[in-house]
Amino acid sequence: MTNRRSFLAGLAAASLAPLRGWSAVGAPDYLAAALFPDGTFRLAGLDTGGDILFSLPLPARGHAAAAHPHHAQAVAFARRPGTFAIIIDCATGTQTAVLEAPKSRHFYGHGVFSTDGTRLFTTENDFETVQGVIGVWNTDDYTRIGEFASGGVGPHDMRLMPDGRTLVVANGGIETHPETGRTKLNLPVMQPRLTYLDQYGGALEQVELPQELHKNSIRHLAVRPDGLIGFAMQWQGDTSQHPPLLGLHRRGEKPLLLSAPDGDQSTLQGYAGSIAFSGAGETVAITCPRGNAVHRFRVADGQLDGVFLHEDVCGLGTASNGFVFTTGTGVIGQLSTNKAQISNRADCQWDNHLIPIRTAA
Amino acid sequence: MRAFVLALSLTMPLGANAQDRGPILSDAIEAHILPGYSALSDSTNALADAARANCDPNSTPLRNAYNDAFDDWISVGHLRFGPSEAEDRAFALAFWPDTKGFTPKALSGLISTEDTAIQSPDAFAETSVAGRGFFALELMLYDPRFTDLGGAEYRCALMQAITADINRNAAAIDADWADYARALASPGENSPYRTEDEAMQELYKALTTGLEFTAETRLGRPMGSFDRPRPKRAEARRSERSLRHVELSLIALRDLAARLAADHPDIAADLDDAFAAAIDRAQSLDDPAFAGVATPQGRLRVEALQQSINDIRAIASTELGPTLGINAGFNSLDGD
Repeated sequence: MTNRRSFLAGLAAASLAPLRGWSAVGAPDYLAAALFPDGTFRLAGLDTGGDILFSLPLPARGHAAAAHPHHAQAVAFARRPGTFAIIIDCATGTQTAVLEAPKSRHFYGHGVFSTDGTRLFTTENDFETVQGVIGVWNTDDYTRIGEFASGGVGPHDMRLMPDGRTLVVANGGIETHPETGRTKLNLPVMQPRLTYLDQYGGALEQVELPQELHKNSIRHLAVRPDGLIGFAMQWQGDTSQHPPLLGLHRRGEKPLLLSAPDGDQSTLQGYAGSIAFSGAGETVAITCPRGNAVHRFRVADGQLDGVFLHEDVCGLGTASNGFVFTTGTGVIGQLSTNKAQISNRADCQWDNHLIPIRTAA
Repeated sequence: MRAFVLALSLTMPLGANAQDRGPILSDAIEAHILPGYSALSDSTNALADAARANCDPNSTPLRNAYNDAFDDWISVGHLRFGPSEAEDRAFALAFWPDTKGFTPKALSGLISTEDTAIQSPDAFAETSVAGRGFFALELMLYDPRFTDLGGAEYRCALMQAITADINRNAAAIDADWADYARALASPGENSPYRTEDEAMQELYKALTTGLEFTAETRLGRPMGSFDRPRPKRAEARRSERSLRHVELSLIALRDLAARLAADHPDIAADLDDAFAAAIDRAQSLDDPAFAGVATPQGRLRVEALQQSINDIRAIASTELGPTLGINAGFNSLDGD
């Protein structure tokens, strides 16, 4: 592997380069939604030390967010089946626009900006026809330009590939309808997929798991700068089984599924919340709030190399020296090579995801 | 020797008091789970016999046998782990909700082609889960689209195949529970459950997901939205069993909840009061197929029933869950 060293050096450089326009904000490194003690749901900007630099109210419980590639602007998404997304000017800490999902659509809580920042893509449910949809928005005025099929049912997380052109979508496979809350309506026939699309909806590649894993919902994604995809899953099948919850995929190849030994895997209750690659890209980790654990694997050989126990841990982001994580108890911590260290405790409950701003995807 | 790092942070509550869960596990298995699946095995056997004796959709013995067996399924339908999930048995017994109309499509397909898969139990077991089980049988017995479709002889053979397949799945679940009961009662090396707490959590999840399904799906689907109620989405509405399923599931879940809360009399009492209120509401509703949701007044009454079930759910998650070591965290409780 002659270019491994230069590849890893490149990764480190990419993760440290601040994005234009964001420096004036007091440089938040991460965004995360949370429930605050006064009962409000807010989106917060954090620095690496876990200090809250700003926070803005959301109309209801948030989920994930996406940072604009050039402007100090972020979009915060409602948790599914929410119908709002809020555009936030992070320099002034104010809300500048609100996206409303069109009729018969709701957001799933994730989205991504195009490389040039002119478009925003959102994962949505067309709940009358039960089709996953990617909404396309013009970021000048946040009007909706159009939409296209996501390639499956229940698109959840979505990322832009390092080529700056390809979208990768986690089509979780689960049918829900706002009238029946979060009830899953199609478990016996669900079919999750990892779908690669161009930015006009052209399907480039569909990846499915073996049939015996068709109840393993592909939900969250991480992208390594060389194009390796990590995906985190949530098992909807027999609770006495403990299938892998983390997969790796490279375009054109078969997915590789990673699992801890039985005794550790069974504690996770079939649920992974977030996924990220480490700053150097040599490890990948999932947070497992039901098992109160972070499982970290070596990418090179797929072996588990760390189990870190934290109550209700769920948010996870890439950090220059490893990972940053958040918990539903307010903890913000760092995961370096061999230890998990708590860097801060906020008086709030951190929600599912931690969104790095400076790590260019 | 582990080759990897195990880090325990200070945020992790340590050593939740190990309690002896053995008696509760044994009681839930012996008095709740095993009798339920045994009854289902017996009544589905009687159902298959009835279809063999007389497959006229209007046959009273056949319809009675259908209702008895369906009752028994609804009374165990919350126990969705282990034997019920092997080979998708539970979905083959009850494919609902059927949001895309797979069941009528599967039946039409079988009948229009006179598919010979119905001649062999093994071959029929390989056909789509949507065309099997109680909901397929309900269409054959009660839906005019199917009671006259195709040839009478084929329809008869199809109903016999469906009822035999229902019995086969019910008997397989019952048989597998003999071993599975030992695994659930004795967690450890040779069990899917490493600890008694994990086994208890499985039963707790059966309780909470059972309540959720009844509130959000059995009631939520026909309720639809206020502007657009959906009475035709009620479960088993053709045989007017929709409300009965709510009542039967609540009765079964009340029994399970009482056993799980046996060590905590206060919580057991709270749960029992809440169940009593919900069951009272169900029994006084007098709207067997939830047709009433089409009117604002009727929908309101179903909404009140749904709220009373949500009250039980709140007690289960805030009072019972924590005593069983259930992590009621912000993310773990309600993830996405």
